[in-house]
Amino acid sequence: MRRRDLYGLLLLAWLCPIAPARAALTPARATAFIQAAGEELVAVINDRGLSTEERRQRVAAILRRSVDIEGVGRFVLGRFWRQASPAEQAEYLRLFEESLIRNLAGRFGELQGVAFTVERNPRLIEEDVVVATIVTRPGQPPVTLEWRVAEVGGQPRIVDLIAEGASLRLTQRSEYAAVITRGGNQVSALNAALRRQLGQ
Amino acid sequence: MREVSRSCRLLLAAGLLLLGACATPPPPEDAEALAEFRAANDPAEPLNRTLFAIDRAADRLALRPLTIAYREVVPEPARQGVRNLLRNLRTPVTLMNDMLQGEPRRAGDTLGRFLINTTLGLGGLIDVADAHFGVPYRRNGFGTTLALWGVEPGPYLYLPLLGPYNPRDALGFGVDVVANPLAWFGQGSEVMALDIAWAGMTYLDQRDAVQDQLDEVERTSLDPYATIRAVSQQQRAAEIDRRRAERRSAP
Repeated sequence: MRRRDLYGLLLLAWLCPIAPARAALTPARATAFIQAAGEELVAVINDRGLSTEERRQRVAAILRRSVDIEGVGRFVLGRFWRQASPAEQAEYLRLFEESLIRNLAGRFGELQGVAFTVERNPRLIEEDVVVATIVTRPGQPPVTLEWRVAEVGGQPRIVDLIAEGASLRLTQRSEYAAVITRGGNQVSALNAALRRQLGQ
Repeated sequence: MREVSRSCRLLLAAGLLLLGACATPPPPEDAEALAEFRAANDPAEPLNRTLFAIDRAADRLALRPLTIAYREVVPEPARQGVRNLLRNLRTPVTLMNDMLQGEPRRAGDTLGRFLINTTLGLGGLIDVADAHFGVPYRRNGFGTTLALWGVEPGPYLYLPLLGPYNPRDALGFGVDVVANPLAWFGQGSEVMALDIAWAGMTYLDQRDAVQDQLDEVERTSLDPYATIRAVSQQQRAAEIDRRRAERRSAP
Protein backbone atom coordinates (compact mmCIF):
# COMPACT_ATOMS: atom_id res chain seq x y z
CA MET A 1 0.00 0.00 0.00
CA ARG A 2 1.41 3.35 -0.94
CA ARG A 3 1.72 6.05 1.62
CA ARG A 4 -0.83 8.31 -0.06
CA ASP A 5 -3.45 5.56 0.06
CA LEU A 6 -2.75 5.02 3.72
CA TYR A 7 -3.28 8.72 4.43
CA GLY A 8 -6.45 8.52 2.42
CA LEU A 9 -7.70 5.64 4.55
CA LEU A 10 -6.74 7.39 7.75
CA LEU A 11 -8.59 10.48 6.61
CA LEU A 12 -11.62 8.36 5.81
CA ALA A 13 -11.48 6.72 9.22
CA TRP A 14 -11.27 10.13 10.83
CA LEU A 15 -14.23 11.42 8.83
CA CYS A 16 -16.52 8.59 9.85
CA PRO A 17 -15.50 7.78 13.39
CA ILE A 18 -18.71 6.13 14.56
CA ALA A 19 -20.30 2.73 14.18
CA PRO A 20 -19.48 1.51 10.69
CA ALA A 21 -22.33 -1.01 10.97
CA ARG A 22 -24.89 1.78 11.05
CA ALA A 23 -22.56 4.20 9.26
CA ALA A 24 -25.59 4.90 7.16
CA LEU A 25 -26.98 8.34 7.04
CA THR A 26 -25.67 11.05 9.32
CA PRO A 27 -27.68 14.25 9.77
CA ALA A 28 -24.77 16.16 8.25
CA ARG A 29 -24.72 14.00 5.16
CA ALA A 30 -28.49 14.28 4.69
CA THR A 31 -28.32 18.06 5.13
CA ALA A 32 -25.51 18.36 2.59
CA PHE A 33 -27.46 16.17 0.18
CA ILE A 34 -30.58 18.35 0.43
CA GLN A 35 -28.49 21.52 0.16
CA ALA A 36 -26.89 20.25 -3.06
CA ALA A 37 -30.11 18.90 -4.62
CA GLY A 38 -31.97 22.08 -3.62
CA GLU A 39 -29.34 24.36 -5.15
CA GLU A 40 -29.44 22.35 -8.34
CA LEU A 41 -33.24 22.55 -8.47
CA VAL A 42 -33.39 26.27 -7.72
CA ALA A 43 -30.76 27.01 -10.38
CA VAL A 44 -32.86 25.22 -13.01
CA ILE A 45 -36.16 26.74 -11.85
CA ASN A 46 -34.78 30.27 -11.97
CA ASP A 47 -32.93 29.87 -15.26
CA ARG A 48 -34.79 32.26 -17.53
CA GLY A 49 -32.96 30.99 -20.57
CA LEU A 50 -34.94 27.73 -20.46
CA SER A 51 -38.33 27.12 -22.01
CA THR A 52 -41.06 25.72 -19.75
CA GLU A 53 -40.64 22.30 -21.32
CA GLU A 54 -36.84 22.29 -20.92
CA ARG A 55 -37.19 23.41 -17.35
CA ARG A 56 -39.60 20.59 -16.58
CA GLN A 57 -37.31 18.05 -18.16
CA ARG A 58 -34.33 19.19 -16.13
CA VAL A 59 -36.33 19.28 -12.92
CA ALA A 60 -37.52 15.74 -13.74
CA ALA A 61 -33.92 14.60 -14.27
CA ILE A 62 -32.86 15.96 -10.87
CA LEU A 63 -35.85 14.30 -9.20
CA ARG A 64 -35.12 10.93 -10.82
CA ARG A 65 -31.63 11.10 -9.36
CA SER A 66 -32.58 12.30 -5.89
CA VAL A 67 -35.86 10.54 -5.08
CA ASP A 68 -36.19 6.85 -4.16
CA ILE A 69 -39.05 6.51 -6.60
CA GLU A 70 -39.50 2.74 -6.34
CA GLY A 71 -39.40 2.77 -2.53
CA VAL A 72 -41.93 5.60 -2.36
CA GLY A 73 -44.12 3.80 -4.91
CA ARG A 74 -44.20 0.63 -2.82
CA PHE A 75 -44.87 2.59 0.36
CA VAL A 76 -47.73 4.46 -1.28
CA LEU A 77 -49.38 1.26 -2.53
CA GLY A 78 -49.08 -0.10 1.02
CA ARG A 79 -51.05 -3.23 1.79
CA PHE A 80 -52.18 -3.54 -1.83
CA TRP A 81 -48.63 -4.19 -3.06
CA ARG A 82 -48.73 -7.85 -1.98
CA GLN A 83 -52.19 -8.23 -3.41
CA ALA A 84 -51.14 -7.06 -6.88
CA SER A 85 -49.88 -9.51 -9.51
CA PRO A 86 -46.28 -9.07 -10.70
CA ALA A 87 -47.57 -7.56 -13.94
CA GLU A 88 -49.78 -5.13 -12.01
CA GLN A 89 -46.85 -4.20 -9.76
CA ALA A 90 -44.62 -3.49 -12.73
CA GLU A 91 -47.24 -1.43 -14.49
CA TYR A 92 -48.05 0.43 -11.30
CA LEU A 93 -44.41 1.36 -10.70
CA ARG A 94 -44.03 2.62 -14.25
CA LEU A 95 -47.20 4.74 -14.00
CA PHE A 96 -46.36 5.93 -10.48
CA GLU A 97 -42.94 7.18 -11.57
CA GLU A 98 -44.37 9.07 -14.49
CA SER A 99 -47.17 10.58 -12.44
CA LEU A 100 -44.89 11.58 -9.55
CA ILE A 101 -42.32 13.17 -11.84
CA ARG A 102 -44.96 14.97 -13.85
CA ASN A 103 -46.76 16.34 -10.79
CA LEU A 104 -43.63 17.42 -8.96
CA ALA A 105 -41.88 18.81 -12.02
CA GLY A 106 -45.05 20.77 -12.83
CA ARG A 107 -45.28 22.07 -9.30
CA PHE A 108 -41.62 23.03 -8.94
CA GLY A 109 -41.28 24.28 -12.50
CA GLU A 110 -43.71 27.12 -11.80
CA LEU A 111 -41.89 28.52 -8.78
CA GLN A 112 -40.09 31.39 -10.54
CA GLY A 113 -37.86 33.47 -8.28
CA VAL A 114 -37.74 30.78 -5.61
CA ALA A 115 -35.04 30.73 -2.93
CA PHE A 116 -34.48 28.41 0.00
CA THR A 117 -32.47 28.01 3.17
CA VAL A 118 -31.70 24.74 4.90
CA GLU A 119 -32.39 24.66 8.63
CA ARG A 120 -29.76 23.32 10.98
CA ASN A 121 -30.42 20.44 13.35
CA PRO A 122 -32.53 18.05 11.31
CA ARG A 123 -34.97 15.71 13.05
CA LEU A 124 -34.44 11.97 13.16
CA ILE A 125 -37.31 9.56 12.53
CA GLU A 126 -36.44 5.89 12.78
CA GLU A 127 -33.40 5.46 10.50
CA ASP A 128 -34.25 8.52 8.43
CA VAL A 129 -33.28 12.17 8.64
CA VAL A 130 -35.83 14.94 8.10
CA VAL A 131 -34.22 18.11 6.76
CA ALA A 132 -36.30 21.29 6.94
CA THR A 133 -36.03 24.03 4.33
CA ILE A 134 -37.67 27.44 4.29
CA VAL A 135 -38.82 28.22 0.78
CA THR A 136 -39.47 31.83 -0.20
CA ARG A 137 -40.94 33.33 -3.32
CA PRO A 138 -41.41 37.02 -4.10
CA GLY A 139 -44.75 38.26 -2.77
CA GLN A 140 -45.58 35.00 -0.97
CA PRO A 141 -45.31 34.06 2.68
CA PRO A 142 -42.41 31.67 3.36
CA VAL A 143 -43.29 27.97 3.38
CA THR A 144 -41.64 25.21 5.39
CA LEU A 145 -40.87 22.13 3.33
CA GLU A 146 -39.34 19.12 5.05
CA TRP A 147 -37.47 16.43 3.14
CA ARG A 148 -37.29 12.96 4.61
CA VAL A 149 -34.01 11.40 3.55
CA ALA A 150 -33.15 7.69 3.79
CA GLU A 151 -30.14 5.72 2.75
CA VAL A 152 -30.99 3.60 -0.28
CA GLY A 153 -28.27 1.38 -1.76
CA GLY A 154 -25.58 3.36 0.05
CA GLN A 155 -26.80 6.71 -1.24
CA PRO A 156 -29.00 9.34 0.41
CA ARG A 157 -32.36 9.56 -1.32
CA ILE A 158 -35.51 11.60 -0.70
CA VAL A 159 -38.35 9.35 0.48
CA ASP A 160 -40.94 11.94 1.50
CA LEU A 161 -41.82 15.61 1.22
CA ILE A 162 -43.68 17.17 4.16
CA ALA A 163 -45.45 20.47 3.46
CA GLU A 164 -46.73 22.37 6.51
CA GLY A 165 -47.12 19.10 8.38
CA ALA A 166 -48.68 17.04 5.59
CA SER A 167 -46.64 14.12 4.28
CA LEU A 168 -46.89 13.66 0.55
CA ARG A 169 -46.44 9.89 0.66
CA LEU A 170 -49.06 9.43 3.41
CA THR A 171 -51.47 11.64 1.49
CA GLN A 172 -50.89 9.70 -1.71
CA ARG A 173 -51.34 6.45 0.15
CA SER A 174 -54.82 7.56 1.29
CA GLU A 175 -55.62 8.80 -2.19
CA TYR A 176 -54.60 5.53 -3.86
CA ALA A 177 -56.27 3.41 -1.18
CA ALA A 178 -59.52 5.30 -1.83
CA VAL A 179 -59.25 4.71 -5.58
CA ILE A 180 -58.54 1.00 -5.08
CA THR A 181 -61.24 0.47 -2.44
CA ARG A 182 -63.83 2.25 -4.51
CA GLY A 183 -62.69 0.31 -7.57
CA GLY A 184 -63.68 -3.03 -6.02
CA ASN A 185 -60.36 -3.53 -4.16
CA GLN A 186 -58.50 -3.98 -7.43
CA VAL A 187 -55.06 -2.51 -8.07
CA SER A 188 -56.00 -2.59 -11.75
CA ALA A 189 -58.56 0.15 -10.98
CA LEU A 190 -55.73 2.38 -9.74
CA ASN A 191 -53.59 1.59 -12.78
CA ALA A 192 -56.51 2.47 -15.03
CA ALA A 193 -57.05 5.79 -13.22
CA LEU A 194 -53.33 6.61 -13.48
CA ARG A 195 -53.32 5.76 -17.18
CA ARG A 196 -56.32 8.03 -17.73
CA GLN A 197 -54.64 10.86 -15.84
CA LEU A 198 -51.45 10.48 -17.84
CA GLY A 199 -53.46 10.37 -21.06
CA GLN A 200 -52.34 6.85 -21.99
CA MET B 1 -69.10 -1.04 15.82
CA ARG B 2 -69.11 0.77 19.13
CA GLU B 3 -66.58 3.22 17.87
CA VAL B 4 -68.70 3.98 14.86
CA SER B 5 -71.90 4.50 16.78
CA ARG B 6 -70.15 6.82 19.21
CA SER B 7 -68.80 8.85 16.32
CA CYS B 8 -72.28 8.98 14.84
CA ARG B 9 -73.69 10.37 18.06
CA LEU B 10 -71.09 13.13 17.88
CA LEU B 11 -72.25 13.89 14.38
CA LEU B 12 -75.80 14.07 15.62
CA ALA B 13 -74.63 16.56 18.21
CA ALA B 14 -73.19 18.65 15.41
CA GLY B 15 -76.62 18.59 13.87
CA LEU B 16 -75.47 16.96 10.69
CA LEU B 17 -76.54 13.37 10.69
CA LEU B 18 -78.64 12.04 7.88
CA LEU B 19 -80.01 8.56 8.44
CA GLY B 20 -77.93 5.76 7.08
CA ALA B 21 -74.98 7.97 6.27
CA CYS B 22 -72.37 5.98 8.14
CA ALA B 23 -69.75 3.95 6.35
CA THR B 24 -69.51 0.24 7.04
CA PRO B 25 -66.17 -0.60 8.60
CA PRO B 26 -64.18 -3.49 7.08
CA PRO B 27 -64.53 -6.88 8.81
CA PRO B 28 -62.34 -7.30 11.92
CA GLU B 29 -60.36 -10.15 10.25
CA ASP B 30 -58.88 -7.66 7.79
CA ALA B 31 -56.58 -5.92 10.27
CA GLU B 32 -54.84 -3.68 7.73
CA ALA B 33 -58.05 -2.48 6.14
CA LEU B 34 -59.45 -1.81 9.60
CA ALA B 35 -56.32 0.17 10.55
CA GLU B 36 -56.74 2.23 7.40
CA PHE B 37 -60.42 2.84 8.19
CA ARG B 38 -59.48 4.07 11.66
CA ALA B 39 -56.65 6.24 10.35
CA ALA B 40 -58.98 7.97 7.89
CA ASN B 41 -61.26 8.64 10.89
CA ASP B 42 -64.18 9.14 8.53
CA PRO B 43 -67.15 7.02 9.64
CA ALA B 44 -69.56 9.37 7.86
CA GLU B 45 -67.71 9.08 4.54
CA PRO B 46 -70.79 8.56 2.33
CA LEU B 47 -72.44 11.70 3.70
CA ASN B 48 -69.18 13.63 3.60
CA ARG B 49 -68.59 12.64 -0.01
CA THR B 50 -72.08 13.83 -0.94
CA LEU B 51 -71.49 17.18 0.75
CA PHE B 52 -68.08 17.41 -0.92
CA ALA B 53 -69.63 16.77 -4.35
CA ILE B 54 -72.21 19.52 -3.78
CA ASP B 55 -69.53 21.90 -2.58
CA ARG B 56 -67.33 21.11 -5.56
CA ALA B 57 -70.15 21.88 -7.98
CA ALA B 58 -70.84 25.19 -6.19
CA ASP B 59 -67.14 25.81 -6.29
CA ARG B 60 -66.88 25.42 -10.03
CA LEU B 61 -69.97 27.51 -10.71
CA ALA B 62 -69.49 30.36 -8.26
CA LEU B 63 -66.85 30.28 -5.55
CA ARG B 64 -63.77 29.72 -7.65
CA PRO B 65 -64.75 32.32 -10.28
CA LEU B 66 -65.50 34.73 -7.44
CA THR B 67 -62.07 34.14 -5.88
CA ILE B 68 -60.35 34.58 -9.24
CA ALA B 69 -62.32 37.80 -9.84
CA TYR B 70 -61.31 39.04 -6.39
CA ARG B 71 -57.67 38.46 -7.29
CA GLU B 72 -58.07 40.34 -10.54
CA VAL B 73 -59.95 43.29 -9.11
CA VAL B 74 -57.80 43.63 -6.00
CA PRO B 75 -54.04 43.43 -6.74
CA GLU B 76 -51.62 41.77 -4.33
CA PRO B 77 -50.48 44.61 -2.02
CA ALA B 78 -54.14 45.58 -1.49
CA ARG B 79 -55.14 41.97 -0.79
CA GLN B 80 -52.46 41.81 1.86
CA GLY B 81 -53.93 45.02 3.30
CA VAL B 82 -57.37 43.38 3.44
CA ARG B 83 -55.83 40.35 5.15
CA ASN B 84 -54.10 42.57 7.72
CA LEU B 85 -57.33 44.46 8.37
CA LEU B 86 -59.32 41.26 8.88
CA ARG B 87 -56.69 39.89 11.24
CA ASN B 88 -56.75 43.11 13.21
CA LEU B 89 -60.55 42.99 13.47
CA ARG B 90 -60.27 39.46 14.78
CA THR B 91 -58.10 40.59 17.71
CA PRO B 92 -60.75 40.08 20.46
CA VAL B 93 -61.16 36.42 19.44
CA THR B 94 -57.43 35.79 19.18
CA LEU B 95 -56.85 37.51 22.52
CA MET B 96 -59.61 35.55 24.24
CA ASN B 97 -58.08 32.27 23.10
CA ASP B 98 -54.52 33.33 24.01
CA MET B 99 -55.81 33.93 27.54
CA LEU B 100 -57.94 30.78 27.73
CA GLN B 101 -54.83 28.85 26.82
CA GLY B 102 -52.94 30.50 29.65
CA GLU B 103 -50.46 32.22 27.35
CA PRO B 104 -49.86 35.72 28.76
CA ARG B 105 -46.94 36.40 26.40
CA ARG B 106 -48.97 35.51 23.36
CA ALA B 107 -51.85 37.62 24.66
CA GLY B 108 -49.44 40.53 25.22
CA ASP B 109 -48.17 40.21 21.65
CA THR B 110 -51.72 40.11 20.29
CA LEU B 111 -52.71 43.20 22.24
CA GLY B 112 -49.50 45.05 21.34
CA ARG B 113 -50.01 44.21 17.67
CA PHE B 114 -53.55 45.59 17.85
CA LEU B 115 -52.44 48.88 19.39
CA ILE B 116 -49.55 49.38 16.97
CA ASN B 117 -51.35 48.30 13.83
CA THR B 118 -54.53 50.22 14.60
CA THR B 119 -52.57 53.46 15.05
CA LEU B 120 -49.31 53.34 13.05
CA GLY B 121 -50.75 50.74 10.69
CA LEU B 122 -53.67 52.96 9.64
CA GLY B 123 -56.47 51.04 11.28
CA GLY B 124 -54.83 47.68 10.66
CA LEU B 125 -54.20 47.90 6.90
CA ILE B 126 -50.44 47.71 7.35
CA ASP B 127 -48.85 45.13 9.60
CA VAL B 128 -46.31 47.49 11.19
CA ALA B 129 -45.95 45.22 14.22
CA ASP B 130 -44.57 42.42 12.04
CA ALA B 131 -42.54 44.54 9.62
CA HIS B 132 -40.89 46.91 12.12
CA PHE B 133 -41.28 45.40 15.57
CA GLY B 134 -40.79 41.76 14.71
CA VAL B 135 -44.05 40.58 16.26
CA PRO B 136 -45.75 38.44 13.59
CA TYR B 137 -49.43 37.51 13.48
CA ARG B 138 -50.21 34.26 15.23
CA ARG B 139 -53.59 32.80 14.52
CA ASN B 140 -55.54 31.37 17.40
CA GLY B 141 -59.03 30.02 17.80
CA PHE B 142 -61.28 28.12 20.16
CA GLY B 143 -60.75 24.86 18.27
CA THR B 144 -57.07 25.11 19.21
CA THR B 145 -58.00 26.04 22.78
CA LEU B 146 -60.14 22.90 23.04
CA ALA B 147 -57.33 20.83 21.56
CA LEU B 148 -54.85 22.19 24.11
CA TRP B 149 -57.36 21.43 26.84
CA GLY B 150 -57.21 17.83 25.67
CA VAL B 151 -60.37 17.57 23.56
CA GLU B 152 -60.03 15.05 20.72
CA PRO B 153 -60.99 16.23 17.23
CA GLY B 154 -63.67 13.58 16.66
CA PRO B 155 -64.51 12.16 13.24
CA TYR B 156 -63.81 13.91 9.96
CA LEU B 157 -66.53 16.21 8.64
CA TYR B 158 -66.82 17.90 5.31
CA LEU B 159 -68.92 21.03 5.68
CA PRO B 160 -70.22 22.81 2.58
CA LEU B 161 -68.63 26.27 2.20
CA LEU B 162 -66.41 25.70 5.24
CA GLY B 163 -64.54 22.69 3.91
CA PRO B 164 -62.67 20.04 5.91
CA TYR B 165 -63.56 20.08 9.61
CA ASN B 166 -64.14 17.97 12.68
CA PRO B 167 -66.68 18.44 15.51
CA ARG B 168 -64.09 20.02 17.84
CA ASP B 169 -62.98 22.66 15.35
CA ALA B 170 -66.54 23.24 14.11
CA LEU B 171 -67.60 23.96 17.68
CA GLY B 172 -64.53 26.18 18.05
CA PHE B 173 -65.48 28.08 14.92
CA GLY B 174 -68.98 28.65 16.26
CA VAL B 175 -67.69 29.89 19.61
CA ASP B 176 -65.25 32.26 17.88
CA VAL B 177 -68.02 33.75 15.76
CA VAL B 178 -70.30 34.29 18.75
CA ALA B 179 -67.48 35.53 20.97
CA ASN B 180 -66.47 38.37 18.69
CA PRO B 181 -67.81 41.54 20.35
CA LEU B 182 -67.71 43.41 17.06
CA ALA B 183 -70.39 41.06 15.77
CA TRP B 184 -72.67 42.22 18.60
CA PHE B 185 -71.88 45.89 18.31
CA GLY B 186 -74.62 48.24 17.11
CA GLN B 187 -77.78 47.48 15.23
CA GLY B 188 -79.73 48.53 12.19
CA SER B 189 -79.33 47.75 8.51
CA GLU B 190 -75.99 49.56 8.06
CA VAL B 191 -74.36 47.55 10.81
CA MET B 192 -75.86 44.38 9.41
CA ALA B 193 -74.56 45.25 5.95
CA LEU B 194 -71.12 45.83 7.44
CA ASP B 195 -71.25 42.49 9.24
CA ILE B 196 -72.21 40.71 6.04
CA ALA B 197 -69.45 42.48 4.14
CA TRP B 198 -67.02 41.48 6.86
CA ALA B 199 -68.07 37.84 6.71
CA GLY B 200 -67.89 37.92 2.91
CA MET B 201 -64.40 39.43 2.89
CA THR B 202 -63.22 36.93 5.49
CA TYR B 203 -64.49 34.15 3.27
CA LEU B 204 -62.87 35.54 0.11
CA ASP B 205 -59.59 36.12 1.91
CA GLN B 206 -59.47 32.56 3.19
CA ARG B 207 -60.40 31.16 -0.21
CA ASP B 208 -57.70 33.29 -1.80
CA ALA B 209 -55.16 31.81 0.61
CA VAL B 210 -56.00 28.18 -0.28
CA GLN B 211 -57.08 28.52 -3.93
CA ASP B 212 -53.71 27.51 -5.42
CA GLN B 213 -53.55 24.47 -3.18
CA LEU B 214 -57.09 23.47 -4.21
CA ASP B 215 -56.28 23.92 -7.89
CA GLU B 216 -53.20 21.76 -7.42
CA VAL B 217 -55.32 19.01 -5.84
CA GLU B 218 -57.86 19.20 -8.66
CA ARG B 219 -55.08 18.94 -11.20
CA THR B 220 -53.11 16.09 -9.70
CA SER B 221 -55.32 13.99 -7.43
CA LEU B 222 -57.12 10.85 -8.54
CA ASP B 223 -59.53 11.32 -5.63
CA PRO B 224 -59.65 14.95 -4.45
CA TYR B 225 -61.94 14.04 -1.56
CA ALA B 226 -59.40 11.58 -0.09
CA THR B 227 -56.50 13.96 -0.73
CA ILE B 228 -58.15 16.92 0.98
CA ARG B 229 -59.13 14.70 3.91
CA ALA B 230 -55.57 13.42 4.34
CA VAL B 231 -53.88 16.81 3.93
CA SER B 232 -56.25 18.72 6.22
CA GLN B 233 -56.13 16.14 9.01
CA GLN B 234 -52.33 15.97 8.93
CA GLN B 235 -51.85 19.72 8.78
CA ARG B 236 -54.26 20.38 11.62
CA ALA B 237 -52.67 17.68 13.78
CA ALA B 238 -49.20 19.10 13.03
CA GLU B 239 -50.37 22.58 14.00
CA ILE B 240 -51.66 21.31 17.34
CA ASP B 241 -48.46 19.30 17.90
CA ARG B 242 -46.39 22.41 17.24
CA ARG B 243 -48.41 24.39 19.78
CA ARG B 244 -48.02 21.62 22.36
CA ALA B 245 -44.26 21.53 21.75
CA GLU B 246 -44.02 25.31 22.14
CA ARG B 247 -45.82 25.09 25.47
CA ARG B 248 -43.52 22.37 26.72
CA SER B 249 -40.43 24.34 25.80
CA ALA B 250 -41.78 27.63 27.17
CA PRO B 251 -40.27 28.74 30.50
